[in-house]
Amino acid sequence: MMKNGYGPVWVIVEQRDCRIRTVSLQLMGRAQKLAAGLNTTAEAVLFGNLMEHHVRPLFAAGADRVFLGSNPQLAFYEPEIYVRAIVRLAQEHEPEIILLGSTAMGRELAPLVAARLQTGLTAHCIDLVLDENNILEQHIPAYGGLLSIICPQKRPQMATIAKGVFPMPEPDPNRSGEIIPVTVPEDVSPRLQTLEVVHEVPDEIPLESAAIVVAGGAGAGDPDGWRQIADLADALNAALGCTRPVVDEGWAPLESMIGQSGRMVSPELYIGVGLSGEQQHMVGITGAKVMVAINNDAKSPVFDQVDYGVVDDCRAFVPVLIKKIKAYQKNQVTC
Amino acid sequence: MNIVVCVKAVPDPQQACNIRIDPVTKTLMRCQVPLVLNALDKNAMRAALDLKEQFDVHITALSMGPPDAEGIVRECLALGADQGILLSDRAFAGADAYATAYTLATAIAKIGPVDVVFCGMASSDGSTEWVGPEIATFLDLPVVTMVEEIVECRGPQWKVKASLAHGYRLMQVQLPAVFTVTRKLNTPRALVFSGIINARKKSIVRWGIDDLGVPAEAVGLKGSPTIVSKLTTTQSKREVEILTGTREEKATQLLKKLVDSGVV
Amino acid sequence: MIDFTFTEEQEMFRKSAREFAETKVAPKVAEMEATGEVCDEVVKALGEAEMMALTIPEEYDGLGLGYIARLICLEEISRVSVATAMMLQVFALGIEPIIKFGTEEQKKKYLPALAKGERLASTAVTEATGGSDPTGIRTSYRKEGNDYILNGRKCFITNSHIADTITTLAKDNENPKTFSTFILEKGMEGFKPTHKEHKLGMRGCNTGELAIENCRVPAENLLGGEGKGMRVALGAIGDVGRGGMVGCALGLQAACLEASVKFANERILYGKPISNLQTIQNKLAQMKIDLEAGRLLGYRAAAIQDNGGRSSNEFAAAKYFTTEAAQKAAKMAVDIHGGYGCMEEYAVSRYLRDSFVLGPSAGTSDIMKVIIARWVLS
Repeated sequence: MMKNGYGPVWVIVEQRDCRIRTVSLQLMGRAQKLAAGLNTTAEAVLFGNLMEHHVRPLFAAGADRVFLGSNPQLAFYEPEIYVRAIVRLAQEHEPEIILLGSTAMGRELAPLVAARLQTGLTAHCIDLVLDENNILEQHIPAYGGLLSIICPQKRPQMATIAKGVFPMPEPDPNRSGEIIPVTVPEDVSPRLQTLEVVHEVPDEIPLESAAIVVAGGAGAGDPDGWRQIADLADALNAALGCTRPVVDEGWAPLESMIGQSGRMVSPELYIGVGLSGEQQHMVGITGAKVMVAINNDAKSPVFDQVDYGVVDDCRAFVPVLIKKIKAYQKNQVTC
Repeated sequence: MNIVVCVKAVPDPQQACNIRIDPVTKTLMRCQVPLVLNALDKNAMRAALDLKEQFDVHITALSMGPPDAEGIVRECLALGADQGILLSDRAFAGADAYATAYTLATAIAKIGPVDVVFCGMASSDGSTEWVGPEIATFLDLPVVTMVEEIVECRGPQWKVKASLAHGYRLMQVQLPAVFTVTRKLNTPRALVFSGIINARKKSIVRWGIDDLGVPAEAVGLKGSPTIVSKLTTTQSKREVEILTGTREEKATQLLKKLVDSGVV
Repeated sequence: MIDFTFTEEQEMFRKSAREFAETKVAPKVAEMEATGEVCDEVVKALGEAEMMALTIPEEYDGLGLGYIARLICLEEISRVSVATAMMLQVFALGIEPIIKFGTEEQKKKYLPALAKGERLASTAVTEATGGSDPTGIRTSYRKEGNDYILNGRKCFITNSHIADTITTLAKDNENPKTFSTFILEKGMEGFKPTHKEHKLGMRGCNTGELAIENCRVPAENLLGGEGKGMRVALGAIGDVGRGGMVGCALGLQAACLEASVKFANERILYGKPISNLQTIQNKLAQMKIDLEAGRLLGYRAAAIQDNGGRSSNEFAAAKYFTTEAAQKAAKMAVDIHGGYGCMEEYAVSRYLRDSFVLGPSAGTSDIMKVIIARWVLS
């Protein structure tokens, strides 16, 4: 079959309990823009069970077609089945681009598909644009600047992107599209099976929606210093995030790490305490209205990226700041 | 039982922030940062060593890197690996994750029948998380990424827990298989003197492209589907105001600024 | 000629020692400073990390690693805690006479437990009447049947209250010019630690007095033969003791330099970090020169020792140089920190106090010069 123009732009969509996950909708929005730039279609690939009546948001977000595998066997992410099905579809439809969310599933599925298709894959992109040759430029932060990665020859061009990098698209309820059913591959060996999926409900304020985010870094020094930073977050009713060194020390879980391969936040106020403004962390903060840093090194790169800076030992400064905040809050109590 | 642990020499993360893009030439500024064993690879090593305590296990530490990377392979021998292999050749340089995984997979196939491949989930440089799964694909093995607990490992069918953002999935895997591990899985073993002494009698083999018998187009920069097309420097859009005064004064000022901006 | 590089294996020893110091010792420094007492967890960790086994031969369950390896470990541990390095170095000092002069039975009896850290060692020479002049000691022994009866008091003994085996120097009651060394064991009747010193520095390292009253010591605890006491006791002090001080001093020098560089880069005066100022750079340069020179003196002496040569003179020079340099470095570090240098929360104030204790340990600087003059004039 002669192909005119470019193959479609695909998003491998993720669902949980029949709800399309936020990152997939955000990617769908971006896919639609990229498809427009290539004069081709934006399409979704979705597996799950009983999903037939839940795909409308994908069309509203920009999909022209949805390849839907809706089947009890596909209810959970089964790596071998999903990979086989996606690869078969890709070999048939030859997408130009495939995007996946940087979720646990996406980060495993993407390389399995890419290796099978013998193509390139970029991780944790913070932007995707088409260059002058309509090749997908995949931007990742590194070495204090930005790397543009391209996959010049092989197709499809593949990338994973975290939730929050792209905005939620304005849903267009008038958009509709085609649903193409996908059959489950029968010939997959049972060498790998999902026995159980357990979701735990996080009890902290979710980082992505917090108005105030306090993020701590290695400057906390030890668990006592970390506790002070957590107290600051409490005092401000803020969500508490961290950098990678904090996760390495074991003071905070990986789920609270803000950054390129962690969580993305866009608060009104961001306060970075005892962190150096490492790029991998700072790209996790988009569109904060006010940014503050507390760090004892006047030469720290973090001070180039914030509105207000305090050069001081965070372990000494944070308790004083907490005192002031509490005093202010007391005065604010109105009848 | 034959276990291969894939390990990587990375610039010391404590000093890696000194490697920067030169804003004028748009290339990486030369910087002497020492190479260390990637942190998550130590968790992978420990997973293999724990199995060695329970079963009859032979551990190979495998790494693709420049000649300097031999130090971290020897460190793995000192930690308890039985044999080390360093894939080092100019032809391997410039590899992206795909080409790296292809090269490592070819070496694993050359080692012989393998029961388990452990990798750290990601490296502290690069940090794509792709190499483990892609090795699995090239070897046609099942893979579980982000392993946080090995629940059952007696016999050829394992049960492991893989991390989700909040929660986990319990996977049943038929060996041989590839596992990428997280920090949660274990606490790495300390490097001890008797281990360093025992490493004296263990060998590190070096393989180049001829030893692997692969064409030059399949490895290194030539074998990489992705390339870096350009480096750019980013400009911050914020102008910082550094607060001055005593500690008390700075705290008062800061709070006032935040209240005035309406964010508190 | 000379290869001044460390081998890959030695670099791994250093890495292992540094990781140990930072993960097992550093968290306990504050507690040791506050109490002045030895931290049991640190002693246990040292044993588990095989630190006491370094110089003990393999046939007695040691690692047989030699004195360069030992110096590397001491340097790395001292960088984090001089007190811990001092304690560790004196373990080796108490072990050395047994290695060098012990009978096969003595070595088999004592060394394996010492290698595992199950038992701890020390050496007791100094008394109120002689440290710099060991011939002035008054602790004496007399023969009684197959045993010896010892009487006396030792002071300023490192690990006095924690050691299980203490190689002790005493003089013959009948012949005051004759000396012998004995292995005294904790719990022996008539032998006990008494007064604990409260030092201004090296807090976390136990220093104290030993009281010996009609202590009956069996003949099999005589070390190296009657009349050989000076050679046995002082031989170890000359290289292992001085070498240990070099390790303590080098680690402290490195710590002073690191802290000074960090502070100088962070402290802003006149709109720039003070590391831009020549007076500060002058001090940093001096610290660096002294550290490089001290390392060369120390590792060369250790290399001679590893090759089986006599190294006590070279170690005298290294001990003098590095302990003096450490005291200067600590003072410069405090000066660079300005007012902050006097505050306990800044490590440099501890470095200054620790540096004072380096001087008189294992021979004062003046005695080192006497020894070196003797070397030159011989």
